[in-house]
Amino acid sequence: MFDFLIDGFGVAFTPLNLGLAFLGALLGTLFGALPGIGPINGIAILMPLAYTLGLPAESALIMLAGIYTGAEYGGRMSSILLNVPGDAGAVMTTLDGHPLAKKGLAGPALGLSAVSSFVGATIAILGLTLFAPLLARAAVLFGPAEFFALMVFAFSSMSVMMGKDPIKTAIGAVLGVLIATVGVDSGTGVMRFTFDMPELYDGIDFVVMIIGLFAISEILLMLEHANRKDSEAELPPLGRVFVSMKEVMLCKWTMLRSGLMGFIIGVLPGTGASVAGAVSYTTEKRLCDKEGTFGKGDWRGLAAPEAANNASAAGSFVPMLTLGIPGSGTTAVLLGALMLYNITPGPMMFSENPEVAGGLIASLYIGNIVLLALNLPLAGLFARVLTIPRWVLVPGIAILSFVGVYQLHSDLTAIYLMLIIGIFGYLLRKLGFSLAPVILGYVLGGLMEENLRRALAISGGDTGILWQSGISLGLWIAAAALLILPWLFGRLSAVRTSRSA
Amino acid sequence: MSLFNSRTADRGLAIALIGLAAFIASQALSLEVPFSYDPVGPKAFPIGLAIILALLSLVLLIRPGENGEWPSAGVALKLLAVLGLLLIYALLFQRLGYLMSSGLVIAGLARLFSASWLKAVATGVLMAIGSYWLFTLGLGITLPGGSWLG
Amino acid sequence: MNSNTSLSLLLGSVLLGGALLSSSVQAADNDECIAPAKPGGGYDLTCRLAANGLLEAGLIEDPMLVTYMPGGIGAVAYNHVNGVRTDDPNLIVAASTGAAVNLALGKFGQYDADEVRWLGAIGVDYGAIVVRADAPWQTLDELMAALKEDPSSVAFGAGGTVGSQDWMKAALTARAADIDPRALRYVAFEGGGESLAALLGNHIQVFTGDLSELRSQLESGDIRVLAALSEERVGGPYADIPTAAEQGYDVQWPIWRGYYMGPEVSDEAYAQWSERLQQLAEADSFATLREAQGLFPMAMFGDEFDAYVKQQVAGFKELAQEVGLTQ
Repeated sequence: MFDFLIDGFGVAFTPLNLGLAFLGALLGTLFGALPGIGPINGIAILMPLAYTLGLPAESALIMLAGIYTGAEYGGRMSSILLNVPGDAGAVMTTLDGHPLAKKGLAGPALGLSAVSSFVGATIAILGLTLFAPLLARAAVLFGPAEFFALMVFAFSSMSVMMGKDPIKTAIGAVLGVLIATVGVDSGTGVMRFTFDMPELYDGIDFVVMIIGLFAISEILLMLEHANRKDSEAELPPLGRVFVSMKEVMLCKWTMLRSGLMGFIIGVLPGTGASVAGAVSYTTEKRLCDKEGTFGKGDWRGLAAPEAANNASAAGSFVPMLTLGIPGSGTTAVLLGALMLYNITPGPMMFSENPEVAGGLIASLYIGNIVLLALNLPLAGLFARVLTIPRWVLVPGIAILSFVGVYQLHSDLTAIYLMLIIGIFGYLLRKLGFSLAPVILGYVLGGLMEENLRRALAISGGDTGILWQSGISLGLWIAAAALLILPWLFGRLSAVRTSRSA
Repeated sequence: MSLFNSRTADRGLAIALIGLAAFIASQALSLEVPFSYDPVGPKAFPIGLAIILALLSLVLLIRPGENGEWPSAGVALKLLAVLGLLLIYALLFQRLGYLMSSGLVIAGLARLFSASWLKAVATGVLMAIGSYWLFTLGLGITLPGGSWLG
Repeated sequence: MNSNTSLSLLLGSVLLGGALLSSSVQAADNDECIAPAKPGGGYDLTCRLAANGLLEAGLIEDPMLVTYMPGGIGAVAYNHVNGVRTDDPNLIVAASTGAAVNLALGKFGQYDADEVRWLGAIGVDYGAIVVRADAPWQTLDELMAALKEDPSSVAFGAGGTVGSQDWMKAALTARAADIDPRALRYVAFEGGGESLAALLGNHIQVFTGDLSELRSQLESGDIRVLAALSEERVGGPYADIPTAAEQGYDVQWPIWRGYYMGPEVSDEAYAQWSERLQQLAEADSFATLREAQGLFPMAMFGDEFDAYVKQQVAGFKELAQEVGLTQ
């Protein structure tokens, strides 16, 4: 049954392919670490190169898969070190990763995130190997109504993020959802809030949004800090370099749960690393955050999104390899790469091109081991980014932001938009908003509206479709439980304390 | 010395957001929809969100919270200078090309972050060239060469 | 660092910068293809087809640049070519039937189809009407009968909004059965992949997709293609699929993939490019590349193609008016 995998390892273990897996992992880490330049660009840029070099299909795919997984590893670096997410999946990583770096624990934080990435990816690749065809059948059971219920669930799981200022959290989320409504309406083709600017027809790009919100506002905040006389102006001290076994063990259940959750979300076509990171983070916060340390540099808050986004990256291979349906933007590009080699992924791929399917899965195993081996010892080196003086670091962030946005759009409007969003992000942060709800609102809100309207278009307006299936009903109940149970427990314990008093 | 206190800031924000909500609602109402297959249509979501936003902002107006410290006038001026530099960068990016515009802006930013002139210029030149190499040769990204050259 | 060494460092780096600058100037003469989309999309592949094909066939010497300019399914690039690079002889922009539809609907802003020089098409894909393998309809006729009886009993889905070319396929199919396209149930997804997943999960019953994206599902027997929206049967793995016309419904939906150039490009450059593409279409190496992308042969260049697109846009305008998309 697993002949294809054994053959696959045979393919992957040739010196050329091992070298390519290594090169891909390295390049991917670099692509992921640079804000705005994510795996999609990496693959799109290197795909024609692989083709012109005349690499055979499986070798090209092994390198591209290395880039893909490498980028998920790399995305966390600027999240932790600079509070600027390197890619979509790494937004939640900033929440606890950066506070850890500020405490002088950048090295261990990078190490832990490498370990959790590895665990998450390994869970997902095992799942991919064992259950891919089965999961693919299950994934298509998710239709618009089920996705809508999933989004309701995701929003209600966000309630745990409310924190000390629930009004501002809610406003942030609403603003995020509103930003997602800009552009051509996906149902009717009507332009919403585009003000006759063609640049806004496709809506506000995710990369423009995160670079503006995080990177540009970070530059402004750094300037403020640099002008402050008190101790905050100091760069964080560099403490120890390696993550301790104790820290890893503290997070073991978090990693396993988040990895599993990330994998499942990744398998569903249409949801990706950003949703996986958000849902796993909020779940872990709910489960583990007894002392209120999440958001202030909790190891588990760092491990959760990292395990989840890597698992989701590997999970999105499931619909691509088994159904020929890309589960994410990046797998869409990989699909294009395969087509260039005259290989059509889909139900027949495992029987028709076993060396490609097996080689790819084997290279995911190898790539992950390479990445762990690459990232653990180098954590200390990467952490030294923090010792770069601000007058070098800030211009660096600025040019990366510009290049990241420019190479995506070849257009200055996107850069102006990034600057405007940056000012907006700065003001929000000064006004005591957290940026995570804005991003979550943006990611989840768009999906929520689209899927609600798709579901109702299918049923002709009958709202019954929204909870008809077992899957959606289950998600509705889970969402309600998330909102009601904590309140109920709160009441119960209040009653108990008043009695005992 | 703070420019304004945080409660005023929250109130100002609340008023601005209510204005934004009104604008969104009026824009959404004026959308012309040829026809829609779903009963919700493209208007309902923005209008609903505008109402929620307005309600939340009202609460904020009544119960403004605390927030961070606002920069002093001197720092605010520097912030504007950074934004101005970034704007100039955007304006010159295609016209002067990547190398020239980046070099200038890197030097300017470094200077604003209190590097000496010498360090600032050296950083500008080295980083512009180094990053150009990294992006074009290393990562295969196309960058503007500058229209003034050709 | 003392000031002396840093000064020499400074000088050295300025010199190095100058050298680099002059080398980057030469690169500016390269041929360029703008893909008006994000990396990986159909337009990206269209640009790669020209870039790889021309290089392999030896029709260009230096690799062609592929630049991404997403926005409004081509609107941003269209405006860019009309506003900024109106006469660049080295620039071509990828386009397809989708661009023609949007031009007809006035979604490219102030500009009309007459504003650019349509260069040529080098491949074509065809629309298809797809159902699940276990669907009750064996032929297009049976589906049409079910639709006539109760249009709301069948949910259509595809990867585009109302007014997009994916929607047009559904609307034209409905119209061929004398059903008001507004009476349909139609669901807009984000791209063909999501629609196909929804079809496999039985959330929608009919998917109006493109032939090229169906191959693996067709081979595995998960889906049935009721009709190809081509003029005549296409070959290869699709040879068994009847056309809609064969079954008595006049619906055709070719999706050409081609290029345009700026409005003020010289006749000389235009002729040179159109000749180059023509040679490409005839090259042996090109057929493999084209087939890898699931495209069928189409070769129309220069003025003939220019007239074809303009006529197509005019046709779409009428259609849009008819179904009530525009006034």
